[in-house]
Amino acid sequence: MKKPNIWAWFILVIGLIYFFLPLFSVFEFSLRMIKGTYSFEAYRVAFTDPAFFSHFGYSLLWALLTISVSLLLVVPTAYWVHWRLPRVRPVIEFITLMPFVVPAVVLTFGLIRLYAQPPILLIGSPVLLIAGYVVLSFPYMFRAVDTGLRAMDVRTLTEAALSMGAGWGTILAKVIFPNLRVAILSGIFLTFAIVMGEFTFASLLSWPAFGPYMEEIGAMRAYTPQAMAVISFLLTWASIGLFQWIGRGAPGQEQVAGAH
Amino acid sequence: MSSNDRPLSRKISRRDFLKVGALAGATATLAACAPKVAETTAGLPDLTSGNSIPLDQLIPAAQSEGQLTTIALPHDWANYGEIIETYKTKYNMTINELNPDAGSSDELEAIRANKESKGPQAPDVIDIGVGHTATAMADGLVAKYKVADWDTIPMKDPDGYWWAEYYGVLVFEVIKPAIANTPQDWEDLLKPEYKGMVAMAGDVLKSNQSVQTVLAAGLSRTGGDFEKAPEAGLQFWKEMNEAGNFIPVIADQGKIAQGETPIVIEWDYLALANRDALAGNPDLDIKVPTTGVLAGPYAGGISAYAPHPYAARLWWEFVMSDEGQLLYLKGYAHPIRFNDMAKRGVIPADLAAKLPPAEAYEKAFFPSVEQLTSSKAYITENWRKVVYGE
Amino acid sequence: MGNNPVLEEKILTKRESKKGSAQPARSPRFDFNWAWLGVAPFFLFALAFLFLPSFSIVVRSFQGVDGSFTFKNIIAILTESDIINAYQASLSISVITAIGGGFFGFLLAYAVILGGMPRGMRTFMVTFSGVASNFAGVPLAFAFIATMGNAGLITRWIEAIFEINVRQMGFSIYTIWGLSIVYMYFQFPLMVLIMAPALDGLRREWREACENLGGSAWQYWRYVAFPILLPSILGTMILLFGNAFGAYATAYAFSGSFINLVTILIGAQIQGDVLYNPGLGNALALGMIIIMSVCMFGYAYMQRKTSRWVR
Repeated sequence: MKKPNIWAWFILVIGLIYFFLPLFSVFEFSLRMIKGTYSFEAYRVAFTDPAFFSHFGYSLLWALLTISVSLLLVVPTAYWVHWRLPRVRPVIEFITLMPFVVPAVVLTFGLIRLYAQPPILLIGSPVLLIAGYVVLSFPYMFRAVDTGLRAMDVRTLTEAALSMGAGWGTILAKVIFPNLRVAILSGIFLTFAIVMGEFTFASLLSWPAFGPYMEEIGAMRAYTPQAMAVISFLLTWASIGLFQWIGRGAPGQEQVAGAH
Repeated sequence: MSSNDRPLSRKISRRDFLKVGALAGATATLAACAPKVAETTAGLPDLTSGNSIPLDQLIPAAQSEGQLTTIALPHDWANYGEIIETYKTKYNMTINELNPDAGSSDELEAIRANKESKGPQAPDVIDIGVGHTATAMADGLVAKYKVADWDTIPMKDPDGYWWAEYYGVLVFEVIKPAIANTPQDWEDLLKPEYKGMVAMAGDVLKSNQSVQTVLAAGLSRTGGDFEKAPEAGLQFWKEMNEAGNFIPVIADQGKIAQGETPIVIEWDYLALANRDALAGNPDLDIKVPTTGVLAGPYAGGISAYAPHPYAARLWWEFVMSDEGQLLYLKGYAHPIRFNDMAKRGVIPADLAAKLPPAEAYEKAFFPSVEQLTSSKAYITENWRKVVYGE
Repeated sequence: MGNNPVLEEKILTKRESKKGSAQPARSPRFDFNWAWLGVAPFFLFALAFLFLPSFSIVVRSFQGVDGSFTFKNIIAILTESDIINAYQASLSISVITAIGGGFFGFLLAYAVILGGMPRGMRTFMVTFSGVASNFAGVPLAFAFIATMGNAGLITRWIEAIFEINVRQMGFSIYTIWGLSIVYMYFQFPLMVLIMAPALDGLRREWREACENLGGSAWQYWRYVAFPILLPSILGTMILLFGNAFGAYATAYAFSGSFINLVTILIGAQIQGDVLYNPGLGNALALGMIIIMSVCMFGYAYMQRKTSRWVR
């Protein structure tokens, strides 16, 4: 065990200052709602707004739906590709990276144009929104599951299970999923974070999601949006921390890119 | 594991479940179809003529629809919060509020996207910048209707496709503790004491408010000559940028409260609403500029594909009535029928007192739709060229 | 990756017996079709909700304001000065934050993984990086304005200590450099998150072998560690480049369209209240897609080179 490097400490301190100073600025501002003194008034107001909970609830519901559809679509496909069609993997990987390449606003308009008239009329129901979210979740979900699958030897495990007489249901439930548990959790968490914070799709398709709500509050109020930003940061931190703790020691936790 | 092993009883119950499910689905579909059949029965007021429908027929028709879908109406904008609540309680209706954040083009896009769908995403009524009315009419997105108070509306489409609802003028919103001398007019903004202090409340390439900000400055410079105003306005903001007085950031209540933007130019009703909301934290001073007072009216319309056409017409009867217009005034926006109402003496004195002095508004310039469209095009195309030299 | 035909046969026959049906031995061709069925749902979904809408971008790039076919938009993005400037600005901010983010992010990752820190510090940094890499848009922009803006925390400290008026000096953060500093907030963590496993993969045996052979620390890094890490570093920097190029919410929240970037321009053309030339917006998007695709290919290529070592 090397003793701590002086340079390492120096770099770390600079890094921490860079990261925490802006957070502190927002926090300090959020405490100034009552003139002349520091208080948590902004936080109290943020939480007593009924619209906060209704929009949060909506986004929560759609996040859960998105996660379900995404899991159903991605996990079997990734597994199948690893097991049977390894040569297709680069194609799938390219597809899952496409949501980074195409700007969200253009994609949304494309979706609206395509699916706003008969015979395929998707615009009145949340189907289009969920579909958009699932597409956005592809990079994270696939990456997570793919990394998890790469870290375990899929072929050997599957063939061993098959040769011992297991059916596909048993293989998926008892061999694959338990080993992918952490990877899937990682994908779920990232998808959840994306859907909760997503703005473009929800706004253009006019659904009362949390992202547009935060945007509106940010434009029309002071102090409360900053309080909400602090809260959401802390919540995200707690969740990731919890998730890190659950998945400690497990292989395959990689992130592709953050929100921007 | 194989299906042969399952007991017969389980197989049957699964089939039964599927049958029941199919039956339920079919019943639901039929039930959904049924009311539509009932609705087209005779007895409902005519929609095609565009004439005002008397309230005793309109209210029950609207109530049978039960719901109104609005879009782009933030509660803090011109007191829409109270207008919405009053409509709901007065006529016992529900309101489905879409996307308060939407801009005028988003509203038109929402109508376009939902032409074939009567779902909850289709707006019934819209509130757009006057400059967008041309597009709305050209694309066939709005239906015509003349409210009962039609004749007293000074700004409208003669056939009834749109009408102005309220207007505001651009004002200087100043943080008192930070600024010793409130600027009185546009040229004052160029003074060195305001270096790094002046911001717009929107983005010039995206927001009507900011385009009007450029226009108003130009109007002040040209002394009221509208034709030369766009060019003069761009020149003004070029000087503002070069002097370093202009902060290229989009101001909002948070940035004002934080102190980043001590002088903001925005609509008077928004500035006054900010002053109320911040309640002295910090103290705001609102000043209507001495020259270059530009009025920015917003226009209302009914979607040509509205799922609730009667509820939509009832909304407008309400909003354009004295009662509705006074609610705008309560939100510091000048109702478009202000002059008519003042003449008849229906404006409460205490409400009028809360606004900036009426003399300041006497010089307000109301651009026509054509003037707005052409000046908007000129400003957006030349903004970066003139101000940033690109 | 090759198939083991004998094992395949055994598994297939086992499956057939399970189903209890007597089917003829499957030819390889039939097997191939059946396997493709497994990825069909995914492909269909991607086609319906990703490819078709994206393809419409290409189509609309050639649409004029009145709806007719035109090359005007493509010509515009190659010739109009403000569009060229937008691309230049986006490229510069992406290069700045890719290099800067890559450099300091690598140092941070090194500090917590190999710098002899207590184990807790590493977990903390990785966790925090996960959060920070997703902190973007309006709250991030506000946080930096509140820190280094005209009325920001640091600004007020400097004004108090040095007794100067920053506003009067004409100093403004609303430039490419100012925005780059903001972007670093999600670029550093991204670098840390991706480099941490890579640095982890540097086996201690290699370091020890190098020392046993008489090599110095510098020689270790120069001849062993960096060559191994280079594809990872380069690949991640390409990713950072793409991430910055595609950023929209943060840039818009920071200074609207006053800083001229490609993503801002796209938003203004497609969605604004003022401009409305979706054909041009789509053409801009097309240009952006091309640049981003090159990045993604570069990243994928580098990733494959890395996978030799990090397992």
